[in-house]
Amino acid sequence: MSTPMLEIRNLHVRVEDKAILKGVDLTVPKGEVHAIMGRNGSGKSTLSYAIAGHDGYEITDGDILLDGQSIIEMEADERATSGLFLAFQYPIEIPGVATMTFLKAAMNAQRKNRGEEEMKTPEFMKAVRAAASDLSIDTAMLKRALNVGFSGGEKKRAEVLQMALLAPKMCILDETDSGLDIDALKVVSEGVNHLRSPERSMLVITHYQRLLNHIVPDRVHVFSDGRIVKSGGKELALELEAEGYSAFDEAAA
Amino acid sequence: MTAPKTAQRTVHLSEAENTLISQLLGAGARQAADEMTSVGLPTRRVEAYHYTDLKALLRDVPAIAQESEQVGVPQFRVPGAYRILVANGRIQQSTTPPNGIVVSEVAGSPLNERDDVLVRLNQALTGSSLVIGLQSSVDPVVHIDHRITGPASHAVSSVKIEVAPGATATVLETFSGSDSAHMGTHGTRVELAEGARLTHIIVDLSSAQSRHFHTIEYAIGANVQLRNLLVNSGSALSRTQMFGVFAGEGAHGDFTGLNLVDDGQHNDITLDMNHAVPNTTSQELFKSVVRNSAKAVFQGRIVVSPKAQKTDAKMMMQGLMLSEGAQILSKPELEIFADDVQCGHGSTCGELDAQSLFYLMSRGIARDDAKAMLIRAFVQELLDPIEDEELNEALSGIVEEWLVRPQAGT
Repeated sequence: MSTPMLEIRNLHVRVEDKAILKGVDLTVPKGEVHAIMGRNGSGKSTLSYAIAGHDGYEITDGDILLDGQSIIEMEADERATSGLFLAFQYPIEIPGVATMTFLKAAMNAQRKNRGEEEMKTPEFMKAVRAAASDLSIDTAMLKRALNVGFSGGEKKRAEVLQMALLAPKMCILDETDSGLDIDALKVVSEGVNHLRSPERSMLVITHYQRLLNHIVPDRVHVFSDGRIVKSGGKELALELEAEGYSAFDEAAA
Repeated sequence: MTAPKTAQRTVHLSEAENTLISQLLGAGARQAADEMTSVGLPTRRVEAYHYTDLKALLRDVPAIAQESEQVGVPQFRVPGAYRILVANGRIQQSTTPPNGIVVSEVAGSPLNERDDVLVRLNQALTGSSLVIGLQSSVDPVVHIDHRITGPASHAVSSVKIEVAPGATATVLETFSGSDSAHMGTHGTRVELAEGARLTHIIVDLSSAQSRHFHTIEYAIGANVQLRNLLVNSGSALSRTQMFGVFAGEGAHGDFTGLNLVDDGQHNDITLDMNHAVPNTTSQELFKSVVRNSAKAVFQGRIVVSPKAQKTDAKMMMQGLMLSEGAQILSKPELEIFADDVQCGHGSTCGELDAQSLFYLMSRGIARDDAKAMLIRAFVQELLDPIEDEELNEALSGIVEEWLVRPQAGT
């Protein structure tokens, strides 16, 4: 069996002295899409931040391996240039940073890590225009400051745009469906599905089954009280929708 | 009849004060010398100098600057600008000014009388002032290149800028020089006639050991549009004080400034704007970025006179602290004597936003690059209104240079 894209071993994470993750074990093989479902406060977002390398999330035990390599000692930027991408639940608005300047800096950081030369402006513009068109993003939006004045749907599309441009091997989508209407959900899901490939894995975090009608996962994991309490095929999402999360709480106890 | 009481000396004079007294006497300014002898340099007990205690901070005063021979190339240059050099306080005009600009020299300081030590020093020590008459609209940037060269020197540069009715111009004043512990006690007076439009940019790039003092006066006529921008990135100790009077209706002023303060520096921006007539507006926006153990001071006062109805004045100070030892002291004040006005002030201070930093890093941007992006974003709003592209680029260059400046102790 080949090396999994993401392997999480017995992960314990603390935020300001409060234990949030209490022993997460998860393996996402190459090319697969896994979903994590759980109610609010179960620690799903903590898992995504801990994988991405946020300073405020202290790993007290366990390990995270990206394509066979431990990343827990890496800063967030190194994890990103190693091929990890987190699509934020609430993308941050940064006034004064032009979206295009940011995209170029991010793409060049990836290239620098691969020992490639910086992108020329025409090449960069072409790449951005093509990716934006796939996601029905108006390029006028990209002339604004990063995420500033973007609607909820625009922010999520901008996240998927970044994902497309940075071409990560492991994508984590944190509540990508939140704040989206049906039409926007469809566009975003299509954008994500378009990026599915045998060389790329995804971890889709959500608390509604709805998103998984559009992005159909290979595996579904139920998250409760800081750990995975049940795993199954895509039908597990439907089961959850029908029975609610409380049916799985006992499994965690 | 009793004999006049001898003035009781309560001040213990410091080395700097003694040097200043002898420099004042050397310039024939007995009254200013007597004043310095009896009260000395202002301490924290003087309200206007509460955060910049000159007696404690100004340890020594170098000798009066001599005429300089080796001036060197300008540290800050704007392509296409018309440049006038003032080296060690002496005007060294070399080229014929473009149409619309009349350059002359006049004895004495252009500053008005004011109960302020820096003004008294400038008035007493100014031999002659450069006068820039902007008689019609002028295209090229007018660059007054104030330089202090050679060994540590005390130089006094004074300038009067007169903008004729309806004329539009951009005037840049830069302060720089050799790498010695200089002191500058400069003065600029700007007189704006009716309908004049001026962008006035002041940049301090003095050496890391320098002490830089600059008093600026604005006399603002009717229907004037004034934008000022102060950028500080040099000097160990500096104070730039701006006094403005709105004397004609319909005028608007944007007063802005950027203090880039690094280890060991103490940079003070003091602003006093007086709306003396009805129907004038002003916006004040000052930002400080402080790194390592350093101090930025901002004091801003807006005075609205009793008859200055319909004044609209908004003042904002924003500080960004990049290290534990960074200090920002901010004192915004409004004194409103009219009843039909819109005035406001605010002051905020903080660190770089951790979530923004994480977001940028999560896209692969290295920590230092991400920080630089956020600092640029913080200051951008001050540089954006500078429309001259060459000038805007040159000013952005100061920020870029500051961002990559080698850090002591890191």
